[in-house]
Amino acid sequence: MAHTLHVLTSASPVPCSRSPPLKHRPFTVFSSTHLRRSIPPLTRRSLSLNASLAVESPSISGSGEAEPLKPLLEVKDLTAVVAESKEELLHGVNLTIYEGEVHAVMGKNGSGKSTFSKVLVGHPDYEVTGGSVIFKGQNLLDMEPDERSHTGLFMSFQSPVAIPGVSNSDFLLMAYNARQAKLGLPELDPIKFYSYIQPKLAALNMDPLFLNRNVNEGFSGGERKRNEILQLSVLEADLAVLDEIDSGLDVDALQDVAKAVNSLLTPKRSILMITHYRRLLDYITPTYIHIMEDGRIVKTGDVSIAQLLEEGGYKALSSTS
Amino acid sequence: MASTSFSFPSRLLHRNPTGSSRNPRKRTATVRTLAALSDPYVLQLAETFEDSLSSAPSADTLSLPILQNLRDSSSASLLSKTWPSSKDEPFRFTDVSFLKKSEIAPVSTVPSRYSPENPQLLGVCDGQSPSLFLIDGRVVETFSDLSGLPSDVFVGSVSAAPESVLRVISDSVANFSQGDLFWDLNGMGALDIAVIHVPAGTRIEKPLYLRLFSSQGVGDGLNTLPVSNPRCIVVVEKGAYIEIIEEYFGGEEGESYWTNSVMEVAIADGGRVRHSYLQMHGKNAAHIKWTLVRQEASSGYELVEVSTGAKLSRHNLHIQQLGPDTQTNLSALHLCGCNQLQDLHSRLVLDHPRGEARQLHKSIVSHSSGRGVFDGNIQVNRYAQQTDAGQMSRNLLLVPRATVDLKPNLQIIADDVQCSHGATMSDLETEPLFYFQARGIDLQTARKALLFSFGAEVTALLHTPLRKRVEDHVKRITHC
Repeated sequence: MAHTLHVLTSASPVPCSRSPPLKHRPFTVFSSTHLRRSIPPLTRRSLSLNASLAVESPSISGSGEAEPLKPLLEVKDLTAVVAESKEELLHGVNLTIYEGEVHAVMGKNGSGKSTFSKVLVGHPDYEVTGGSVIFKGQNLLDMEPDERSHTGLFMSFQSPVAIPGVSNSDFLLMAYNARQAKLGLPELDPIKFYSYIQPKLAALNMDPLFLNRNVNEGFSGGERKRNEILQLSVLEADLAVLDEIDSGLDVDALQDVAKAVNSLLTPKRSILMITHYRRLLDYITPTYIHIMEDGRIVKTGDVSIAQLLEEGGYKALSSTS
Repeated sequence: MASTSFSFPSRLLHRNPTGSSRNPRKRTATVRTLAALSDPYVLQLAETFEDSLSSAPSADTLSLPILQNLRDSSSASLLSKTWPSSKDEPFRFTDVSFLKKSEIAPVSTVPSRYSPENPQLLGVCDGQSPSLFLIDGRVVETFSDLSGLPSDVFVGSVSAAPESVLRVISDSVANFSQGDLFWDLNGMGALDIAVIHVPAGTRIEKPLYLRLFSSQGVGDGLNTLPVSNPRCIVVVEKGAYIEIIEEYFGGEEGESYWTNSVMEVAIADGGRVRHSYLQMHGKNAAHIKWTLVRQEASSGYELVEVSTGAKLSRHNLHIQQLGPDTQTNLSALHLCGCNQLQDLHSRLVLDHPRGEARQLHKSIVSHSSGRGVFDGNIQVNRYAQQTDAGQMSRNLLLVPRATVDLKPNLQIIADDVQCSHGATMSDLETEPLFYFQARGIDLQTARKALLFSFGAEVTALLHTPLRKRVEDHVKRITHC
């Protein structure tokens, strides 16, 4: 049986400055041979991953009568400055993420990728000066960071801070119960929470003793990243912004983390990955890749963009745009 | 000979850039002698103390030679002193004038309103470890439980101490020339001495609770200030070990009283003392305490202080090294809320090689009228080569106008040493706060958790059941 695979055609990249963002996305169905030609080094594994993802997606039920995709996050002309120096770092970012999609934002150091992810979750170091961010139909910019978390937005920190004196289990339980309380759901006591979290630890190959340690204190780079994903799996966010979740990870750790992230994906949940390297995309396959440059998204396309990047660096992309 | 002296006075609100402490002793010594006989207030205070002793019921204990000697030497020394003011360097940041304005009334009678079962007296004791109970400075046997102690250990009132123990402690009593007026007042007013003697080679596994209760507070609006003068002597002989949990508390919340306490600790070669000091008085209490520690060769002394109560709380900590290879570990956590001043004046004098010393002072000032004071002096003298000493003071100022006065200072004369010190003061950092918020935890809860974790660096050093109780207490207080 031929794979049914849905990839945005690489021949017609969507210009990033579009406004409003795409409502109807041009999907082209390739045969697997066609695809192999257009994106040669893509491995079979990622193909099948992508395929299974696509199969689950309601958008491709054969009838074409599927319910329309709902936008999860709509960012329009977002501009932001450093709170202290007022230096503008985001010069008008546009991005729309629909339910069930995986997006990757790639770009050079200093292109604004991390700033963008921090602005989304309301980091106090930055001030939004213009544009809008709508998440699940609500204005995200009006919310406190904790409220943003309660609506289902999660960001994994690039280098999460250590919190001496607060144990991981206490922290996770606080976070979990804060969300439960907000949603009007029952809170868990530490013992019930332990059974809740046990399989999540196992999925990440994490030792339960990890829970007794203080949050990120003395953690290796890999442990910090796993811990971020553990938090994501506890909070079961609808949109996970993963800021360089691959940095500092060896292959085994990367596979563990990617496996856990993939297992959290549902037709309703989405991921926004921030990364420098293509490596991560071999494990978590994006629906779209955006190239960020100087505080803007300058190019959007399918996974083939990553291939261009691999071959010619960001320069190659800039010159074609 | 290399000679280096650091003195970094740093103040938040009223920073005084000049090191006015430089060589203060020479100048003030003459002034003091001249003024000595002319401080009528101190004279009057001495008389008040003497009068109260004549009406005290425990004449037997008071007439013991050891207490008589202590009184004689203390009163002689007291009369050469003046009441401290902000012009005296050790009291530059600590205002004790409200004591002077009060009508100081030494406590000499034991009240009848407390029985051992009174829940107020439970404090933080776990009910399983041995405990020695002092009410208003007097050992109360019926409240104490010393059954779990080895038979060769003596813990109790000096009046019950065997001759051999008396001989040992007589050497140390009244043999300290650097005490201030409050040290002398304690010597004059002490009604009893709690004695803890651990003979050579004995290790006491369970901690000993030393529970000091102030029973005679007075309500709001009265100018009377009852003062008690608890005094304790701890002698740990060669190779012996004891853990002491010294706990201060008082009667009804809001009552005024003054506890003026002295503890002397002598640790012989290879001996070790683990000392937890918890000051949990009510919000209107005054608490002044001296801790004098003498450490002989290869001995170890570890102090964990948590001070949360009293409107005026001053701890004078003096540690004298008497031999090489000592280890000293000092940690303190101060909580300064509304109208509270928490003060630690510590001095560690190293005169022998290879001493190791670590000091951590932490304070949380949570109200604009709260104030923290830390003057930490470490002297590394000429023969204290290869000393490894570090001092750190971290202070959280949670509201505008909250104040800490810090004077960390190292005086180093030896030339082959490793010494470090540092001091920080700030509000809670934004990055950890944001981390909590990003996970859906609201700002207020995040602040509480971070405050608690700030203190946990010190409270984690307490042993487990005690740690839990103290942390609960800290949580309760920081929630107000």
